[in-house]
Amino acid sequence: MNTSTTVLLAQGLTKSYGRVQALRGVDLEVKQGEIFGFLGPNGAGKTTTIRILLDLIRPDGGTVRVLGLDPQKDSLAVRARCGYLPGELHLEESERVETILRQFNAFRGGKADWGYVRSLAERLGLDLKMPARNLSKGNKQKVGVVQALMHRPELLLLDEPTSGLDPLMQQEVHRLIRGAKADGATVFFSSHVMAEVEQLAERVGIIRQGVVVEVAETQTLIKRALRRARVRFAGGFQAPALEGVRGVSLLSRDGDTLVLQVEGEMDALIKELAKYPVAEFETERPSLEEIFLAYYER
Amino acid sequence: MITVFSQSLRRWKWQIVGWGSVLLVITLYLMWLYKPMLEQQAQLKNLLDAYGKEMLAFFGGAVDLFSPAGYLNFGFFSYIPVVVGILALLLGAGLVAADEEKGTLDLILAHPIPRTALFWGRWLALAVALGAVLLLTWLGFALGLPLSGLDTTVGELLLPHISLFSVLILFAALALFLSLVLPSRTLAASVTAALLVASYVVTSLASVNDKLAPINNLSPLKYYQGGNAVDGLNWGYLLGTLAAALIFTLLAWLLFLRRDIRVSGEHGWTLSWRWAAKKG
Repeated sequence: MNTSTTVLLAQGLTKSYGRVQALRGVDLEVKQGEIFGFLGPNGAGKTTTIRILLDLIRPDGGTVRVLGLDPQKDSLAVRARCGYLPGELHLEESERVETILRQFNAFRGGKADWGYVRSLAERLGLDLKMPARNLSKGNKQKVGVVQALMHRPELLLLDEPTSGLDPLMQQEVHRLIRGAKADGATVFFSSHVMAEVEQLAERVGIIRQGVVVEVAETQTLIKRALRRARVRFAGGFQAPALEGVRGVSLLSRDGDTLVLQVEGEMDALIKELAKYPVAEFETERPSLEEIFLAYYER
Repeated sequence: MITVFSQSLRRWKWQIVGWGSVLLVITLYLMWLYKPMLEQQAQLKNLLDAYGKEMLAFFGGAVDLFSPAGYLNFGFFSYIPVVVGILALLLGAGLVAADEEKGTLDLILAHPIPRTALFWGRWLALAVALGAVLLLTWLGFALGLPLSGLDTTVGELLLPHISLFSVLILFAALALFLSLVLPSRTLAASVTAALLVASYVVTSLASVNDKLAPINNLSPLKYYQGGNAVDGLNWGYLLGTLAAALIFTLLAWLLFLRRDIRVSGEHGWTLSWRWAAKKG
């Protein structure tokens, strides 16, 4: 698999709804075969970005390429090669699940293998005979997941893929997404659930008020971020001032105990602490959620 | 396009059956009623004379009630564009906007279907659905004709249906166009319904008030022949009405091609002409 091929590219993407500027210049690049998490709170522009990728809405400015194609000029080719799960999934209430899935399959020229559709439904515990009107939100979401995956697309565009699912089903969907990646698909998914992105995504993009403020490997982002360190010195030793150490700032002091904030590598702090009698040393790695919130507090 | 067409027809099958069978029964009954009415011709004439000509204008005017054209107009074709027009404008207003408002269009158009195929596939299904309803209506007339003794033929009875079809398609096209311009299909259907009723009132009263002639020229129902079509179609009126319908349909298609697919709650519910003007 060629991992350097760009599957999804957005440059300077802008979009307004009347006076509301939803996207203010989104830049994104997703490589072939990766799982990319698009993180942001409600209204940040995640759904708008995904819908532009499928030509459901047209941008005011900027360029987009999906699988090397322009979604406006080659809309059909793009949509034929993508699987899409909308953030707000609505189904034809009067139809049974199987009828709905067969209709979607007909739109794709009957490309899906029905045995695979059944196996997907089975893994998700979805009854194909059930009328859509009787489905819970979670079961509707399962229909959405099946229809997005059933034709084995090259690119999966999933807007909040586990919305409404119970934790067990969320894990099953994660397994399905990883399975699609293992089969060669690229996955671009949006979420405001940090734990999900941390668990699933290899790279993450954070969008804030219509601008992508950070794109990095998930683990790099976590490692690079601020850490908290708590140091207790031995034998009632009065804590020295460590604020001069590179990347270190003091959060609180309580007798022989310091709580510090460390930016970047811990090396300088550890070397400085080696000069003193240290009884306890604890560090906390921030969750993606804390990193995410830090971006939003800026 | 064939997939979209067949799915749309499947969705409307009960509406076709419901409207068609009710109209079939009504037209069959009307044909059966002709003979008894003919037997009481004198009393009925006196009764009708008691009504004002303004009142009769809404039922095809003060014409010979017992001629084929007069009877068909009075009993059915004078008011039926308003009745079946409601079905036509509801189907037209919901052709695209219904799925958009329900939120199902988003996922449909994420599949490899051209917007053009979706639009024309559904439009063709709408035309076939209206045609099927009118075919059942005509079937009622045709089955009842031998019972009635009305001096016309099955073939001639088809002609008012063709005229009616053209008017229904026009109002469906207008509703479709408005559903793509106005913020909701309910508003589009309401505006179209108001125009349909206004057209009916203006054209009916224009037959007894010459001052309404200029405004009546703009009324679509002026170009609807109703029962008079049994004596021959006015091809100018028919083609003119169909041409107007085609213009509204083409405008709607062009709007649909260039517009954003709306999802509720995503700031998409402004008037699209304002958006279009802004895009310049």
